This record gives sequence, C-alpha cells and structure tokens, in this order.
Amino acid sequence: MLTRRRLLETALTLGAMQAFPGLSLAQARPLVFATFTGSWEEAHKAVLVPAFRKANADAQIVLDPMLSVDQIAKVNAARANPPIDVMLHDPGPALVAIGQDLVEPYPVEKSAYFKDLIGEAQIASGPAPFFQVVGLTYNPEAIKTPPTSWADLWKPEFKGRVGITNMNSTLGTGFMVEIAKMYGGSEANIDPAFAAIEKLKPNLAAVAANPGALASLFQQGQIDISPGNFNAIQILKARGVPVEFVAPKEGAIAFKTTIHIVKNSPNKELAFKLIEAALSPEVQATLMEAPYLIVPTNTKVKMAGEIAKVLAKDTDDLKKKFVFQDWAKINQQRAAWIERFNRDIKL
Amino acid sequence: MAASGLRRSIDVSGYDLRLAMPLAGFFAAFFLAPLAVLVVLSFQTDTTGAHWGVTQYVQFLGDAFSLGVLASTLWLGVKVTAVCLVFGWPVAWLHARSGPTVKSLIMLIVLLPLLTSVVVRTFAWIVILGRQGIVNATLMSLGLVEAPLKLLYTDLGVVTALAQVQMPLMVLPLATALSRIDPNLVAASEVLGAGEWRTFAKVILPLSLPGIVAGSMLTYAASITAFITQSLIGGGQMLFMPMYLYQQASTLQNWPFAAAISIIFLIAVLAVVTVFNTLGRLSRGFAQG
Repeated sequence: MLTRRRLLETALTLGAMQAFPGLSLAQARPLVFATFTGSWEEAHKAVLVPAFRKANADAQIVLDPMLSVDQIAKVNAARANPPIDVMLHDPGPALVAIGQDLVEPYPVEKSAYFKDLIGEAQIASGPAPFFQVVGLTYNPEAIKTPPTSWADLWKPEFKGRVGITNMNSTLGTGFMVEIAKMYGGSEANIDPAFAAIEKLKPNLAAVAANPGALASLFQQGQIDISPGNFNAIQILKARGVPVEFVAPKEGAIAFKTTIHIVKNSPNKELAFKLIEAALSPEVQATLMEAPYLIVPTNTKVKMAGEIAKVLAKDTDDLKKKFVFQDWAKINQQRAAWIERFNRDIKL
Repeated sequence: MAASGLRRSIDVSGYDLRLAMPLAGFFAAFFLAPLAVLVVLSFQTDTTGAHWGVTQYVQFLGDAFSLGVLASTLWLGVKVTAVCLVFGWPVAWLHARSGPTVKSLIMLIVLLPLLTSVVVRTFAWIVILGRQGIVNATLMSLGLVEAPLKLLYTDLGVVTALAQVQMPLMVLPLATALSRIDPNLVAASEVLGAGEWRTFAKVILPLSLPGIVAGSMLTYAASITAFITQSLIGGGQMLFMPMYLYQQASTLQNWPFAAAISIIFLIAVLAVVTVFNTLGRLSRGFAQG
C-alpha cells in the first residue's frame, strides 16, 4: 500500500543515498580482483595480495579467478553495480572491455610507478603489469638441435610432429599474425598465414582446441614442437615434462596483460592501490623469480634468472627481442579469421 | 458417500500440485526465464541490440558450413548411440539373466564410471589413444603397425571415447526393460518351435524396445552436447555445435548469433527426441499388442 508516509520514507532514502554514495550496501564488500585461473592465481595469491594488504592496512581482498571473456560477461551483466573491481585482460578482450565502456581510466597522475613502466606498458585505460611471451616449445629428447625460427616448424623432419592451436585463443591468433608478417602480411592481412598453414599440414599432428591442451599433447608424445607460452612451459618443465622454450630469431611475441579498474566499482581507491602494488618494482621482482617467472614491465626491475637467460637481459634487450602486435587492428577482423580457420583448416 | 470420496480425491490432487510448486518455481526462475531471454537475444540483428530481425537465423541456415556443423553433430550422436546400443545390449541382457551376485557385480561395473568426473574419464582416453598410448604401444609391440596410428583428434577417437563415457545411460534403461521380460515367454517361444535367433528377433528384441528407445534418447542427448569430451578428444579442428556455440559466445562475444545457434540446436535436438518418443509409443503398442 502506497501511503504518503511510505512515499516520504522512500524519497528520503533515495535522497540520502544520492547525497552520501558511501551508504550503498555495495561499499561493504571487499575488493574483488578477477585474476586468471591456474598459475596466475597462485602467483597473485602468494605475492601480490600480501604486498597489497601490507601497504593498505590489511584491506579485505577476494580473488575471483576467471577467463577474460567471463570477466567481461559478468561486469556487462551488472554495469551499475559490478561484482568485480579489478579486471585482468589479454590484449584482445581488453579492447572489447574498453569498447563496451566497462573500464575506468587509470589515474595516471596519481600513480607512483606508471612513468617507470616500459613505453609499451604505459596504457592510460589500464597499464600492463606483466607481459606474456610466446615463442617455440620443443621436446629436447626428440629434437636435438634447438629450433631458431618460426620457419623451422615447416622443416620436413618434423613431419607429423607439429602442434598448433586454433585461433580462439590469444596465442593462436598471435601466432597466425606473426606467420602472416613473416610472409609479407600484417595485422590487417592474414592471407599469407593461411597459405603457410596449408603448407604446414603434412607436419601438423594436432590442432588443439586451446593452448592448455597442447601441454597434454607434449606429455603424451603426440607432438614434439609447437608455439607455446613461456610461463606455461616453465610450469610443465617444473613438473618433469621434457620441454624447452626458445625465443625465435624473428622475435618472441609479447602480449600485454593489462589490469583495469572496473567502471562504477564501489572500491575504486582500493582498486587503484592494488594496481599500484602490481606495478611496483618489489612485487614485479618477486614474481620474476622461480617458480612464477612472470616477465616484468617496470624498468626499475633488473632482469634475472631464467628470464634474463632465455628472454632478455634488460629493458633495451627486451624491446629488441619482443614483438608487439596491434590488437586494435587484429580485433577488427578476428571474428572473420576464426570463422575462416574453422572452415579452411581440416586435417 | 460418493460425494465425500470425490472431494477427497480433489483434495489429494490439489495437495500434489502444491508439493510440486517449489520445483516448478525453481524451473520457471532458472530455466524458463533464461530460455526466454535467450530467444529474445537471438532476434537481435547485431551485438549492440539496436535492431531486431531474423538475421542470425538466416545467417546460420543459409550457410553450408554452419549446417555442416549441425549435421556432423547430429550424425555423431547417431554413431555414438549405435555403438552404445550394440555393446550395451548384451551387457544389459547378461545383467537380466544372471544370479543376484553377478547381477550386482555387473551393476557396479556399469555404475563405476559415473562415480568419476567426465573430465577424468576423458583424460584417461587421451592417455589410451595417444601416440605412446596403450593402444598404439600394444599394436607396435605385436608388430601389427610400424608407426603409431593417429587415434587422438580423429572421428573414431571421439566416437569411442563418447561411447564409453555415455555407456551407463544406455545400459541402465536397457537393464530395467530386459529384467521385466517374463522368462516364460522365451520358453514358450522355444516350445512353439522357434530357434534361438527367431526367439531373439520376434520376442526379446521387440519387448526390449521401450528400453532401447529410452536408452538411445539419453545417450543421444548426452553425446551431442558433450562439450568436454568432444573438444579434448576431437581437438581444435573438429567443430561440433557445443564448441561452435562456445566460440561465438565466449571468444567472439557474438551473443545474438550464439543465441540463435542454441535455439536452432535445441529445436534440432527436440525434433530428434520427438522421433524417439514416437518410436517409443509405437514400440509400446508393438510390445503389448
């Protein structure tokens, strides 16, 4: 029953919520950080979260690991009161999230570390606290001379030994773009890559549904060589699977993993603090060490260990050896490419 | 007296309906409502949702590739169901004819796979079918093949793995149907001069039809929607409807097209289930008449 008193109460409540936005119930929930599943979650739980809590008077934080695309779907479903405060994205989904207006610009002028980041990582919509690096993975027990170039995948001696993934994943798409570039194509022209994959067919043992499936194919001896993610390979290696990673001479493909404050997040300040912690040289230096081996983006971090040995000695070396791709261009045609891969690549 | 009896029966049925309310409410909120949203979504012409129309359906139904994916998915279901039936029927028969100890042993063996997750069972198949897997190792050591056969990421691999994973869904209804057959009927058939094959074809098989129909329906529905087994054993280049759907919805964020795919898939599956149901009705008439 709508009485005058009831109406007044409602109006007052609404007015008060307008005047003091802090009153909303959402404020009471802890900071929610949607990291990725698997090794990312482990690394963030062990290093990033403790560093953040130490710097922010033990502020409450919850890790809610999920894929980029799921993060976007969840935030999209509740834009006004998003269930996530901080998102982590691969380059493709990051642009989708920005395009759908789900992301708060990073308060660059407030940040203590933003200016120390490598140029490529200084992105105002959300900086890149880490790089993911894709190169060649091979089984050293089966392949005695380490491969040096993407072109080695086409060598006749690897007949029926090569694995790739379809273009659903960032890795699969990035690999195809790199192959296109090698044969005169670009982020806008993928045709040379499709022509090259056609020629790769005798060598192809498997087209995996996702990069994770490549790992089990190595374990089963189904494939001996494939494009692979540096971090994923280190984890396999640590578990005793005979795999090695090499950066091809054309350059390893580097993906910017970007971190974003979610638009309309009730915990903006804490979200900013969490991202600051992720950019800080202390956290990045720890995450660079084994077992995490995550490639840092802060120039104040001195490269060391496996990363210095296999990938890059310092920031200048890194810039020379890493290839960055233009995902804004890639995203324009990615859907069409995935369709084309569905249709054309039949073994 | 009659009137009070009538009232009681009405009361009882009213009580039953109320009992079903929580489940009905649950279904309405978590199944029917999302389904309605899905239908609405499938009529958006683009991802922004500005325009409405049947563009997504036209795109799917006018595209030979998409129709091919649908056809290969439905065909996969037929193959898996056939394999399950051929291998499951004898198991169910054995179960129906055995003594109590063997009976419970067979039931345990049939049910055992259901107690482990589908992911685990599928991974076991990767190990079995791989280049250095059990099948290839055996064939090579016997000298039957020189180089390992390609079993993983093939049609044969997917059908084999799915048949094993879905087998309990076939055996359980079959076992129930077969155990209901009166053993005297077999004896009667033999007394009347029918041989073993004739008895099988004319008596046992027709009587087991309700079980065959129920088992086939379950196996079929489960195997065409088995996203995990299809993608892990089939790999990235064998595209079936669940993976196609996932690709459009998740990787490409093309929800309207994904919604249209789901609706088309749903209708296709309902059509197949209707065929099974009709067969089931006919077979009941056949078995009793």
